[in-house]
Amino acid sequence: MRNLVLGLLISCFAWSPTVSANLDLSGKTVTWVVPFKEGGGTSRFARFLQPYLTKYLPGNPTIQIQHIPGGGAIKGSNYFQKNAKPDGTYLFGCSTSVIVNVATGNPLVEYNLGAYKPVLLLPQNTHWFTRTDLASGTSDISKLKERDLVLYALKTPASADLFHIWVFDKLGIKKARPIPGLSSSAGYQAFLRGEIHLSSHGAANYVKKVKPEIESGKVVDIMTLGIVGTDGSISRNPLAPDVLTFPEMYEKVNGKKLDGADLEAFYSIAAAWAQASKSMLLPEGTPDAIVEAYRKAVTEMVNDPDFKDKATKALGPYPLIIGEEAGPILKKAAIFSDSTKEQLNAVLKKNRFVYRVQ
Amino acid sequence: MEQFLSSLSQLFEISHLLFLFGGTLLGLTVGILPGLGGTSGLALVLPFVFGLEPSHALAMMIGVLAPTTTSDTFPAVLMGVPGTSGSQATVMDGFPLSKQGMAARALSAAFLSSLLGGVFGAVILSVSIYYAIPIIMTFGFGEQFLLIVLALLMVGALTGDNFVKGITACFLGLIIGSVGSAPITGDPRFTFDTLYLIEGMPLVIVGLGLFAIPEIVGLLDNKGAIAKSLRIERGWLTGIADVFKNWWLVLRCSTLGCLVGALPGLGGTVVDWIAYSHLRQTSKDTSRLGKGDIRGVIAPESANNAKEGGALIPTLLFGIPGSGNKVLLLGGFILVGIEPGLDMVTTHLDLTYLMIWSLAVANILGAGLCIGFAPHISKLTLVRYYILAPVMITLIFFATYNVNRDWYDFIGLLGFGLVGITFKHYGWSRPALLIGFFLSSKVELLSYQTQAVYGLSFLYRPVAIILMVMCFATIILLLRQRFDAGYDSRLIKNKSKQMYLSLLLMCLPLAVMWDVSGIPDFRATLFPIGVCLISISLLILIFAVQLADLRKPAFAGGGFLRFVNTNIYENVAGFNNQLYYYLSILGYLAMNFIFGFPIASVLFINLFILFHDKRDLKISLSISLSLLLILWTLSSLLTLQFPNGLLGTFIDMPWWLGGELN
Repeated sequence: MRNLVLGLLISCFAWSPTVSANLDLSGKTVTWVVPFKEGGGTSRFARFLQPYLTKYLPGNPTIQIQHIPGGGAIKGSNYFQKNAKPDGTYLFGCSTSVIVNVATGNPLVEYNLGAYKPVLLLPQNTHWFTRTDLASGTSDISKLKERDLVLYALKTPASADLFHIWVFDKLGIKKARPIPGLSSSAGYQAFLRGEIHLSSHGAANYVKKVKPEIESGKVVDIMTLGIVGTDGSISRNPLAPDVLTFPEMYEKVNGKKLDGADLEAFYSIAAAWAQASKSMLLPEGTPDAIVEAYRKAVTEMVNDPDFKDKATKALGPYPLIIGEEAGPILKKAAIFSDSTKEQLNAVLKKNRFVYRVQ
Repeated sequence: MEQFLSSLSQLFEISHLLFLFGGTLLGLTVGILPGLGGTSGLALVLPFVFGLEPSHALAMMIGVLAPTTTSDTFPAVLMGVPGTSGSQATVMDGFPLSKQGMAARALSAAFLSSLLGGVFGAVILSVSIYYAIPIIMTFGFGEQFLLIVLALLMVGALTGDNFVKGITACFLGLIIGSVGSAPITGDPRFTFDTLYLIEGMPLVIVGLGLFAIPEIVGLLDNKGAIAKSLRIERGWLTGIADVFKNWWLVLRCSTLGCLVGALPGLGGTVVDWIAYSHLRQTSKDTSRLGKGDIRGVIAPESANNAKEGGALIPTLLFGIPGSGNKVLLLGGFILVGIEPGLDMVTTHLDLTYLMIWSLAVANILGAGLCIGFAPHISKLTLVRYYILAPVMITLIFFATYNVNRDWYDFIGLLGFGLVGITFKHYGWSRPALLIGFFLSSKVELLSYQTQAVYGLSFLYRPVAIILMVMCFATIILLLRQRFDAGYDSRLIKNKSKQMYLSLLLMCLPLAVMWDVSGIPDFRATLFPIGVCLISISLLILIFAVQLADLRKPAFAGGGFLRFVNTNIYENVAGFNNQLYYYLSILGYLAMNFIFGFPIASVLFINLFILFHDKRDLKISLSISLSLLLILWTLSSLLTLQFPNGLLGTFIDMPWWLGGELN
C-alpha cells in the first residue's frame, strides 16, 4: 500500500508541468522528419508550424524539416524509428497514409507508431457528393442505389481510399465500382467530365473547387464523414451544416443506428482518416516532461493571435487536438481490431481485390 | 484578364525575378555548351525545386528552358557546332557568315529573332489557354489514353535514327516505368523486396543519368571542338535591321515553330530544319542559302524559340510531354504539387499565366543578355572542357544527393548513365526511353480506366477518331519526307555489336516478365507482361533485320523492309573513350564513399584537371574551393546534410563534412 501511494506520488510529480522547465533547447536544432516530398500536405503542415515552434519551445531551437520521401512513406517513417533520439530534438510528421500502413499490416513497416507520443493532431474531413441529376436533393442516394453502375475514384486498395469501399458497402450502394489509380483531384476531373458518378474531396478542395459547382446547381452534397468528438459523439461538419454525416446516412438507409462492429470500424476509420489526418509526434520513449513541454508550447502557439489569424486558411476549419486526448485517437487509428479488419477484407473480396488487410 | 495582369506584377516581385534570372543564366550556360541543352539543365535544377514556392519553382524552370535556344547560337555561329539540337540548321548559314567576318551580324539577327519567336510562342500559348476548358472537358479517359499512346508512338518514330528502334526504346521505357508498386493494386513489382524501388526509379535520377552524364562524357571526348579564338566585330545593327526587313519570315517561322512544338516528338530536334526547308521552298532567291544568307539564321532561330510556347500546350493541358525536357518540367510540377490538366486553367490559372509571362520575360532577358554581354558570354566557348566537366559532375552529384539523400540513387545515376552512353552510341533514342518511363503508369492506369468506363467503345467517339487520323497522317507524312532522301544504312561496321546489344536489351523484358508472373492479381501483371511481350517482339524484329542486312540488292524490292532497315546500324563514334571518362565518375563515387562528398569533390576536381594539364593547379584549387563554398551555402539553405563517408564513421566530423548535427 505504501508503495502504491509512493508510486502515485512519484507519478504525480512526473506529470506536474513544472518539470517541463527541464527541457532547454537553446542552441539546438530540432529535426522534424517528414516522410513525404516537399510540397505535399504534411510538408505544408510542418512548414506552417515551424516558426511558431521556434517561438514557443523553450530555448527557441532551430526547426529543420527533413523530408525523406519514398516507399509509400515507409522509408522516412522507418528512418525515424531507427534514428530519432527521445530527447526532444526529433519530431515526426505523421499523416493518414503513415497510419494506414500500420493499420493494414504492411510487412515493410518497422516503426512502432502506437508507442509514439502525440503532441498535436490536425483533423480533416471528407465530403461526398454527386451530380445533381443522380440525386433528388441534398443527402439523397436513392437514385444512386437504383443505378446499374456507380463509378468512383480509388487510389489503390492499399491506401486510405480503401475506406471508401467500406463506406459505400455499408450504405448499400450495390453497384458501386471503384476505378483504381485515380487521385482525388484526377477523380474530380473525371467526375466533372461525367465519367464517374460519385466523388469526394477534403475540406480545402471542397471549399475551393466543389462549393462553386454546388452553388451553380451542377453538383449536390451527399454526406460528410462527420466530426467525431473525444467522447465519441458525432456532429455535423461546420462547412456543410445541412448535410447528413455518415452515421446519419447509415441510419436513414438501414433503418437502424450505427452500432456494434460497424460503429467500431467507423471510429477506427474516422480516427485514421479524419481526426489524425496530420499529426506531430515525439518518438517512442520520450520522457513525459519533454512531451509536456511540447504540449505546453503548442498550446501557447494555438492562442497566439497571429496563429489564429492564419491557421484557418492554412490548416482548415477544424480545431487542433492537443495533449492527452490525442493518445487514444492515435492508438485507435493505428491498431484496427480483428472485426474491423474482417469487415475491410470482406468488402475488398466483394470488389474482387486480391489485396488483404493483415 | 485581371489575373493575367496580376500574374505579371507577381512576376516582377524581386524573389520571382531572382529565380527567373537564375534559371535564365543557367539556361544560357547549358545552351552555349555543345551537347548540353534544356534537358540536362532542367535535370540539374529539378532536385532543388523541392521545397520552393510553386511560383518560384515554375519561374526558375521556365527560365532554364526558354533561353537555351537563344544562346546556343554562339557555338553555332562561332564554332560551327550547334549548342543544342535545336540550332543545327543555324550552323548552315551562321558559320559561313562568321567566316566572312559577319559574326556580329549573324548573332544579333539570331538573338532578335529568338526573342521575337519566343514572345510569339508565349502569345499563342496564352490564347490557347483561353479556349482550353471545353477542349479539356471533351478529353475523357479514352481520349487521354489515345493521346498518350499516339504521343509515345510519335516520339518513338521521330526521335531516333531508326523508327523501329525508337518505338522499342519507348516500350523499354514503359517497362522500366512499371517497376515499383502496381498503380492499380499496390503490389510491388520487380522491387527485389527493397523499399528503394517501391515508388519506382526517381525521375530526376533517370533524367540526369540518361542526358547529363552522356553529354558531359561526350563533351570530354569531343576535344576538337574548342573555339581557338573569338572575333566578334561590329555589325550588330545590321543584324537587327535584317530581322525587321524579314519580319514576315519571322512571323511565318514562329507560327511554324509553335505548331511543330505542340506535336509530340518533333519539338527540339527537327523544328529548325523544318523552318529552314520552309525558307528554301518559299524564297525566290536561294543562291546564297548555305553560303551565308542571313535569312538562314533568322528562320531557324525564330522557330526554335517559338516552339517552347507551342510545346507547353499539351504539357500544361494534358500532362503529355512532347520531349525530354518537358518530362522533367512535368516532374517539377509534381514536386511542387501542381497537377496538369483542368486545374491549370481554373484554380491554378494564376500559375499558368505566371509561366507564360516567365516564358516571355526569360526570352527577352536571355536575348538581352546575349546581345549586351556577347563578348563576355561567348568566352564560355573558350573554356576547356576538362575544367568544365568535373565541375558539372560535382553539380550532378550534389543534385543527386538532394533527391532522396540515398546512396542507391548513385547506383541508379551511374546505371542510367551507362545506359545513356550506350543508347547514344548505338543510335537508340534516349528521349523515347525517358518519355516511355515517365508515361508508363499513366498508360497503365488509363488503359484500365478506359476499359472500366467505356470498354472498347471509346474508339468510336468522334474526338478519338480525329486524333487517330491526325496522328497517323503526321507520322506517315514526316517519315516519308525524311526517308525520301534515301533508305541507306551507312554504318555496317558495327553490325555484330549492334546485334549483341539487341540481344542484351532483351534481358530486361524477360527478367521483368519472370519476376512479375509470381503476383497473383492479374491487374498488377497484365500491363508489364503486355509491354514486355511487345518489346520482345520488336527486339526480335530488330535483331532479325540487323542479321539479315537488308541493304543487299536482293531485298531492294521490299519497300517496307528497307524502310525498317534504314539507319539500323547507325552509331556515334567514341564509345571506348567515353567509357574511359565514365570510369572516372565511378572513381569519384568511390571517393564519396570513402571521404564523404565535400572532401571527395575537392580531390576529384583537382585530380581531374591536373591529370589533363599539370600547370592548372591554381585554377583547379580556386575552382574546387569556390564551388565548395557555393555548395555549402546551398546545402544550409536546403537543410541538406551530406552523407557520411567511410572516414566519417571512424572520425567525428563537423556537420558540414557530413557529421552529426547536435
